[in-house]
Amino acid sequence: MIFQQILLEIFHKFNGERTISAPYHLLKGKRSGQTIQDVGIYHLHKYFGVLPKLARQTYDKAISALVEEEILIVLQDGFYKLTNKATSHLQENKTLPFDGWHYRGNEHLFFARLSLVVQSLSHQSAKQMSFIPIQKDEQVQQWVRHFLKTNHYQDGHLQQKLLEEIVMSLENLNVEEEAKEMVMLRLSGYKTAGLTWQQISYKMKLSEMDIGLIYISTLHKWLNEILQKKDEYFLLNQLTEAVRVNIPLSGSASQTAELFKNGYSVEEISRIRRLKMSTIEDHIVELAMNEPEFNMEQFVAKADIQRVIEAVDETHTRKLKVLHQMLPYLTYFQIRLVLARGERFES
Amino acid sequence: MNLKELLHKHFGYNEFRPGQKEVVEQVLAGKDVMALLPTGMGKSLCYQLPGYIFNQPVLIISPLLSLMQDQVDQLKKMKEKRVVALNSFLDVSQKRMALQTLQNYRFIFISPEMLVQENVREKLNSIKLSLIVIDEAHCISQWGFDFRPDYLRIGEVVGKENRPPILALSATATEKVLGDIERYLNMKEPYTYIHSVDRPNIHLGRRIFQNREDKLDWMLEHVSKTEGPGIIYTQSRSKTEKISERLLQLGIRCASYHGGMETLDRQFIQQQFIEGSLDWIVATNAFGMGVHKQDVRQVIHESLPSNVANYMQEIGRAGRDGKDALALLLYSDADEDFAKFVGMDDLPTEGHVDRYMELHFQQLQPGMMVQNGEISETAFRVLAYWMHQLPAHEVKEKLSSMKTGKIKAVEEVMELVHAKSCMREKLVHYFGQTLNAKPSDCCQCCGLSIENIILPRQTTEKNVQEESFNWKDRIKNLLLQT
Ligand SMILES: Nc1ncnc2c1ncn2[C@@H]1O[C@H](COP(=O)(O)OP(=O)(O)OP(=O)(O)O)[C@@H](O)[C@H]1O
Ligand SMILES: [Mg+2]
Ligand SMILES: [Zn+2]
Repeated sequence: MIFQQILLEIFHKFNGERTISAPYHLLKGKRSGQTIQDVGIYHLHKYFGVLPKLARQTYDKAISALVEEEILIVLQDGFYKLTNKATSHLQENKTLPFDGWHYRGNEHLFFARLSLVVQSLSHQSAKQMSFIPIQKDEQVQQWVRHFLKTNHYQDGHLQQKLLEEIVMSLENLNVEEEAKEMVMLRLSGYKTAGLTWQQISYKMKLSEMDIGLIYISTLHKWLNEILQKKDEYFLLNQLTEAVRVNIPLSGSASQTAELFKNGYSVEEISRIRRLKMSTIEDHIVELAMNEPEFNMEQFVAKADIQRVIEAVDETHTRKLKVLHQMLPYLTYFQIRLVLARGERFES
Repeated sequence: MNLKELLHKHFGYNEFRPGQKEVVEQVLAGKDVMALLPTGMGKSLCYQLPGYIFNQPVLIISPLLSLMQDQVDQLKKMKEKRVVALNSFLDVSQKRMALQTLQNYRFIFISPEMLVQENVREKLNSIKLSLIVIDEAHCISQWGFDFRPDYLRIGEVVGKENRPPILALSATATEKVLGDIERYLNMKEPYTYIHSVDRPNIHLGRRIFQNREDKLDWMLEHVSKTEGPGIIYTQSRSKTEKISERLLQLGIRCASYHGGMETLDRQFIQQQFIEGSLDWIVATNAFGMGVHKQDVRQVIHESLPSNVANYMQEIGRAGRDGKDALALLLYSDADEDFAKFVGMDDLPTEGHVDRYMELHFQQLQPGMMVQNGEISETAFRVLAYWMHQLPAHEVKEKLSSMKTGKIKAVEEVMELVHAKSCMREKLVHYFGQTLNAKPSDCCQCCGLSIENIILPRQTTEKNVQEESFNWKDRIKNLLLQT
C-alpha cells in the first residue's frame, strides 16, 4: 500500500511527462543525466535512490496492480495517465518522509555499523567476547573495531551512553512507535537474534515492501535528527561518518563545477575538457540543482525566469518542448536551468 | 606431543572421531588423501589440525560462499587470526591486500572462481603451501549436485609436479564420483578412507499421496502433532513462504529460508534456530551447510530432492547429537516431473547454444543473455565453460547427456519412493557400499513407528514474533543484558 502510494505520488509529480519506467529509475537512484535532472525539475529529491535493489519484476507487479485498480492508465507510447481515482487517493493518504537525495542507500552503512556495535557491546555485557559478527563486510568490521577502541569500550560505560543517545534521539523523532520498534528489531545481540523482514511483516501485519519503506524512512529521519544535533549525540554522530552525501554531483559534473567556480565559461570548459557543450550544460544544470548559492541570473535574465514560471503555471507542464514553443527566444538550456531551480521560486 | 595431545591442545577434544586420525596421519606423511566421512562427522578437523602442525599455509577450496564464510567464522571464533577468505565479496583493494600477505596466513579459503583468475594463480604458485584441500569434493564431478565448471579446472591450476598433497573431502560421493575426483585432480595413488555413509540414528520414513493438497494437509497435521526442531525442504522460494505462513497460523514457531533472502535475515534465522526460539525452518536447499545445530529431530522432504546425494546431505542435518531422528520423504503424484523441471532450469538448452553463437558472431557479449533474462546464471556458467572447451555441436551433445543425467538422477530418487524392500539398503548401495546392520525402526519398508522415534509436540511456547516488546526495552536488554 505504501509502495503504491509512493508510486502514485511520483507519477503525479511527473505529470504524465515521463514514461512508466521513470519512477523505477528514480527509486533505484540511476546515475544518468536524465534521472538526475528530473529530480530537480519535478522536485523528487526525497525518492531518489530509496530502493537501490528494487527488482524490475516487483515494480512491474505494482504497476499492474495500479492499472487493475483503475488508478493508472498506461498509454501506447509508454507514457501514462492518472485517473480520478488516483486524485482522491492522493488527497486521502499521506506519504512517508524520505531523504533519498542525501543518503542514497548509505543509511544501510550507518545501520550496519550500529548493529555490529550493539552486537559487540551486548556480548561484552554478557562477558562473552567470542561471537560471530553479524556484519560480514571487512571494512565495517574494521570501522567498528576502531570505533570501540577510540571510545574506550574496555571501561564498560559505552553501553549506557549509547543507550541514552539511542533512546533520546528516537524519542525526538516524530514517527510511529511501530516504526522505531521495527528498526530496533533488526538489531541483534547476545542470545537475542534480530527478526527477519518476513517475521516483522507477520507481526505488524504489513507487507514486507511496506516494512522496508517505513524502515528506510525512519533511518533517514533518525539520521537527520542526529546530524542536526551533532553535539548531543556524541556516539551516534560518529556512526554517521561519510553517510550523508553533501555534494551529490556526478564525478564528471564535479570537475566542471570546479572549473566553473574558477570563472571559466561554458564554452571554455567545453574546450578545456574536450566535451560537448550540451554535456557541460547538463553539468551546469546539475550544479544549479545542488548548489543553493548558484546564481542563475548569469544565464537567464530575471524577467525571463519569471516568464518561464508563468508558462509552467499556465500550461501545467514542465515539458521542455511546449515551454520552448511558448518562449522561443530562450534556449533549452535556459529553460532547464529555471526548471531545475523551480523549487526555490515556489517556496 | 603426539596427535591426540595436539588435538586436545588446539581443539580441546579428547578423542578423534572415526577416520580423523587416519586421515591426518596420511596427510602429515605427505600423501594425497580422499576421505569420505558422513555428514557432521568432523571433516573440517582433517585439515584444521594439520594447519597447526605445518608451518606453511593450507589452501582450502570451498564450493559455496556461505559455507566458506561459516568455516572462516568458526575458526575466528576459536581465536584464529591467520585466516582469510578469497572470494567475490572482496573489493579490489581488499583483494590486493590479502594477496600481498598471503604467505602469512595459516588457512586460506578460496572459491573456485577466484582460483582460476590469473593473478591469484600466479601468487599461489609463488608461495609455498603445505596442503590443498577440496571440501565437498563431489562438486568436481559433473554428476555432482552443484555443477561448477570452475571446479573442473582445479586440476589445471594445482598442476601435477612439485605440488603439496591434496586432501579431498566429501560426505556423499559415489564410486563414479570418487573416480572423477581422482582423475580431475591428478591425484597420485591416494590413500582412501571411506566410512559408511549410513547414519543409523536417522530413521527413514516415507508417505505417498494422491495429490499435493493431501500431502500438505498431512504434513501440517504431522508438524503440529510431533516435536521439532525440524527442517522442511521444499523446492521453491515462494513455497517456503507459503508453507511457513500456514504453520505460523497453526501457532508453530517457524520461518522460511531461501537463497533470495538478505544475508542478515539468513543469519537471524540460523541464530533463532540454534537458540531454540524457532522450532521449524521451511527451506530450499540453500539451507544446511554450515548450520551447526546438534539436536535437529526431523527433516521432512516436501518436494523430491534432485538427486540421492542431495537427499543424503539434507537428511544428514538431523541427529548430529547421535540421538534418534526422523527423515520423512513425502511424495505426491507427478512430483518427479517438477523435480526434473527444476533440474533442467540449471542447464542450458540447444537454443542457448545457438544464441550464444549468434551473439558471438555479432561480436556481442554472450553475457547479455543473463542480463536479458534469457538464461539463468548457473546455466550460463555451464554454457560459457563448455563453449570455450568444445565446438558448438559437441556442446549440444554434452548438454543432452547432462540432461539425461539429471533425469536419471531424479529417477534414482524415485527408486526410494517406490522401494518395497529396505530404503536404507538402497541408499547405501547407491554409494557403492553395503549395509552391515539395520537399526530398529529402520525405515518405512522394514517397519517404522514414528511414535518410537519422535515425541508428541509438547507445549506451545510463545512465538518470538508475537512477543511484544517496547522498543526501549529491546535496546536496553540488548545493550545491558539485564
Ligand atoms: N574429534 C572431535 N570431537 C568432538 N567434536 C568434534 C570432533 N571433530 C569435530 N567435532 C565437531 O563436530 C561438528 C561437525 O564438524 P564439521 O563441520 O567439520 O563436520 P562435517 O563433516 O564437515 O559436516 P558436513 O557434512 O555438514 O560438512 C563440529 O561442531 C566440530 O566442532
Ligand atoms: Mg564440512
Ligand atoms: Zn530398512
